[in-house]
Amino acid sequence: MSVINEISEALQKGKRKDVARLVQQAIDEGMDAATILKDGLLAGMNIIGEKFKNDEVFVPEVLVAARAMNAGTALLKPLLSGDAAEPLGKACIGTVKGDMHDIGKNLVRMMIEGKGIEIIDLGVDVDPQEFVKCAIENDCSIICCSALLTTTMPMLGEVVKAAEEAGIRDKVTIMVGGAPVNQAFADSIKADIYTEDAASAADAAAAVFAN
Amino acid sequence: MTMNMKQWVADVIASDKKKALPVLSFPSIQKMGITVAELINSSDKQAEGMKIIADSCPTAASVSLMDLSLEAEAFGSTIRVSDDEVPTVIGSIVSTEEEADALKVPEIGAGRTQIYIDAIEKACKLITDRPVLAGVIGPFSLAGRLLDVSEALMYCYDEPDMVHTVLQKATEFLINYCNEYKKVGANGIVMAEPLAGLLSPALAQEFSADYVKQIVDAVQDDNFIVVYHNCGNTAVKTIDTIVTNGCLMYHFGNAINMAEMMSHVPENLVAMGNVDPAGEFRNGTAESVYNRTKEVMSECCKYKNFVISSGCDIPPMSPWDNINAFFKAVEDFYA
Repeated sequence: MSVINEISEALQKGKRKDVARLVQQAIDEGMDAATILKDGLLAGMNIIGEKFKNDEVFVPEVLVAARAMNAGTALLKPLLSGDAAEPLGKACIGTVKGDMHDIGKNLVRMMIEGKGIEIIDLGVDVDPQEFVKCAIENDCSIICCSALLTTTMPMLGEVVKAAEEAGIRDKVTIMVGGAPVNQAFADSIKADIYTEDAASAADAAAAVFAN
Repeated sequence: MTMNMKQWVADVIASDKKKALPVLSFPSIQKMGITVAELINSSDKQAEGMKIIADSCPTAASVSLMDLSLEAEAFGSTIRVSDDEVPTVIGSIVSTEEEADALKVPEIGAGRTQIYIDAIEKACKLITDRPVLAGVIGPFSLAGRLLDVSEALMYCYDEPDMVHTVLQKATEFLINYCNEYKKVGANGIVMAEPLAGLLSPALAQEFSADYVKQIVDAVQDDNFIVVYHNCGNTAVKTIDTIVTNGCLMYHFGNAINMAEMMSHVPENLVAMGNVDPAGEFRNGTAESVYNRTKEVMSECCKYKNFVISSGCDIPPMSPWDNINAFFKAVEDFYA
C-alpha cells in the first residue's frame, strides 16, 4: 500500500499518531505537500463523510478521524505554498447566544474542514455581532450558526439581521442548523441554507465555493 | 401507590385502546405561572405540576422532569439555569485518569437530588390513579457530562479505561439514586440515555448497554420498572444492543422512523414515540401536532406493543393548545 493510501486508512480509523507519522514519512520521502493533503487527508475525510451519511460510521468515528486529519494538516501547513496553501474558502461557525451545546457545531466544523475550507470556530454562546465581526475581519464567505434550544432559535434570525445592518448580507452565505431548526424556520428568518446534518452542511459549504 | 408494574406493562400491550405516554412535565410552568428556575428548585412545585398534568391530561403514567443536569451537578459539575429552558451542564470535571480515579461518588441528596426525590414522594401521594415515573439520566449520558460530551465520544477510542472508571462511578450513583426513588414510592424511572444515541452498535454495547443492564438488574423488580429513553438517530441500528439492557419499555425520538423501529422491537416489550417535541409541540400548530400524531399512530398502532408519545421531553413554553391537540388526536384515532 502506498503511503498516501496508508494515510487515508489511518485517518479513517482515527489513528492520529499514525497519521502524523505517515505524513512526516511522506514529507521525508519528498512527496508534494498538496498531494499528501488532497489525496491522503482530504480523500480519507471524504470517505468518512460519505460513510457517515450512509450510517456506516457514527459521530465518534467522525470526531477521531477529523482530529487525525488535523494532526496531519498541522505538519503540512508550513510546506504548502501558492494555490495549494489557499483553502477552498473561509467560514466561521458558532452556537448562538444563550446556547451552550456544541457537539453538532463541532461535527459540522470538522466536516467542513474536511472539505478543505478554513473555518474559524467562535465557540458557544456567540453574540450575533461577533459572527459578523469575525466574518468581516477574516473575509469569511460563510457564517454557520447553530441552535439546539427552541428558545435560542430566534438568535439565528438575529445573526441574519446583524449581517444586514453591517452591510455584508450580500457578501456572506448564512447557513443554519440544529435539532429544533427546520427549512420552514430557516426560510422565515431568510437564512440562505438549512441542512439537517453535518455531512449535508459540509457538502453545502463546499458547493458555495464551487459556484 | 404500589402496583405490579410488570403486569401493568402486560396490560398496556394487551389493551386495544392505549393511553398516550408523552414525556410531559416542564410545560406545567405555564399552568403554575412560574419559571423553569423556580420549578427545578422546588419539590412542592414539581409535585404540583405533575398533579396538574395528571388531572388535565389522559396519560398512561405520570412522568417527572427530564433534567439531564441534575446528576452531573451532584458530582460537582457547573450548570447554567435559565427561566424558560432546561438547565445545561457547562465544561467538564474529569479530563485525566487521575481525575477519574479521584472522582467521588456523591451521596444521595447532593446538589438538587433531594429536591427531586422529595418531589416524587409528594407526587406519589397526590397521583394515585396511574404509575408515577421519576426521570433519571443514563450512565453514558452522565459520564459524557462529567467528561465533556464531545471529548467523551473520542475518549471511547483514546482513553477507554478512563471512560469505564467514570461509568462505574456513574452507575454506582444511579443505582443508589434509583433505589431512593423506589423507597419513596415511585413505580419506576424513565432513564434518559441520549448520548448513547450517537454511538455505533459496538461502542453502545461497551459504554452504555452493559451499564444500563447493571442498573436494571439492581433496581427493576415486579413493582418498579426502568423505561429506557434514547432519542438518537442510531437507535434503529443499535436496537439489538439496546434490548439487551433488560428494560420492559423503550422510548425513542423523532430522529428515527418509528414504524421501522417497531418492526425490530420484540413483541413483549413496549416501544413509545415519537412526535417531534421541538418541531411540533413547541414550534408547530395545533393542527400540525394533531395531524402528525394521527400519522404516527396510523403507521404504528398495528403493533400491539406501540404506545404513542412525544419524541423527547416536551419543552417548557410549548403551547398548551398544541399539547391538547396531541391528546385530541389520540382520542379521535381510537374513536
